Amino acid sequence: MRIDTRNQRLDLVAFMGALCLFFSTLEYLFPKPVPFFRLGLANIPVLLALELFSPGYVLLLVALKVVGQGLVNGTLASYVFLFSAAGSIASALVMLAVHRAGRRWVSLVGVSLFGSLASNVVQITLSVTFIFGSTAWVIAPAFLAIGVASGLVVGVFAKRFSERSRWMALMKERIGAA
Amino acid sequence: MPRRRLRRPPNRLALHASARDVFLCGIVSIVAFLLQSSLIVRAAQVMAFAILATYAGKRIRWGYFVMIVSSITLFNLLTPLGRVLLEVGPLTVTTGALEQGVLKGLAIAGLVFISLFAVRPDLKLPGSFGGLIARVFYYFEIVLESRQRIRATALVSSIDDALVEIYPGDNGIDSGEPGADGTDAGERTARFATTTDTLGAIVLILVATANTALAIVF
Repeated sequence: MRIDTRNQRLDLVAFMGALCLFFSTLEYLFPKPVPFFRLGLANIPVLLALELFSPGYVLLLVALKVVGQGLVNGTLASYVFLFSAAGSIASALVMLAVHRAGRRWVSLVGVSLFGSLASNVVQITLSVTFIFGSTAWVIAPAFLAIGVASGLVVGVFAKRFSERSRWMALMKERIGAA
Repeated sequence: MPRRRLRRPPNRLALHASARDVFLCGIVSIVAFLLQSSLIVRAAQVMAFAILATYAGKRIRWGYFVMIVSSITLFNLLTPLGRVLLEVGPLTVTTGALEQGVLKGLAIAGLVFISLFAVRPDLKLPGSFGGLIARVFYYFEIVLESRQRIRATALVSSIDDALVEIYPGDNGIDSGEPGADGTDAGERTARFATTTDTLGAIVLILVATANTALAIVF
């Protein structure tokens, strides 16, 4: 059965939104080396979506991920949600641009790296502007280093999954992205 | 995967109040909380919101919030303001910077606590986006059921096997299955109240009016 209609695509986007929530629950199973550290496993379905959907659907998936996480974690009415939304949207826009522009030369690892850095830059800027003040720029290099590490981990997993997964191959075939 | 259970304590507030009413109470509380300028009152409100969040089944990581408030205060102290209280090495602690830092830190922590008690997964969002969110939660429950099959030693293949089995199933958006119309947010929320009972109404009205009164008085 091919995934042709808008409703079928929306259904697959919703399923991938559920995968984002699932991966974010897996994140709690890993120890945090520093309090603010997040691996960003919920971005794995977003990276996979780059290979399946047009930009509009990818951005819709990001919106579902952010709002879904806000509802599950109960952070929808707090600054955490705004930070998460800003970081995720910036990350998605950069990943879409890099994926489109460098399709032949940049793998999902590189795309993930750029996305992670974009998210971190936006979140650092917001926290410096609204919470900590300009003196907090001193911690920016450490956070960017963390962003590089988590972006690499997530990117390597997404690339490996995209290459080896029967499910991804099936979805690419059905959606006509193979 | 490691077999750590992610089970949360029960949301006792959800047994007595609907998601919409709790959310409205949260919005009123946010506005009143942000209007509060007294440090002592704001600190008391933060404690009250933390108790409410715990009552709503949320686990609060106190260490995390102590660190958030401390770091915000510390960074504020780097910009001196007002009377000098003491000097610790190169750091000058001033009254204005200290008060502003603690106020800001408490505001951040308080907003998170309000959100933790006021937002829950069965909160229905309006429009087609709200319907899609309901579908996300419908699939989330299905995906969660298969997590026992995921093995850390064969992460990619075990996740892949689970996905092949789950999707596409017989749950297509055109089929009219539960979730497509936003009626089922999942088994976890099945026992949550859809209307607010007397006890729930008393708690919510008390929270909203107390915070509003504090914002007016102080």
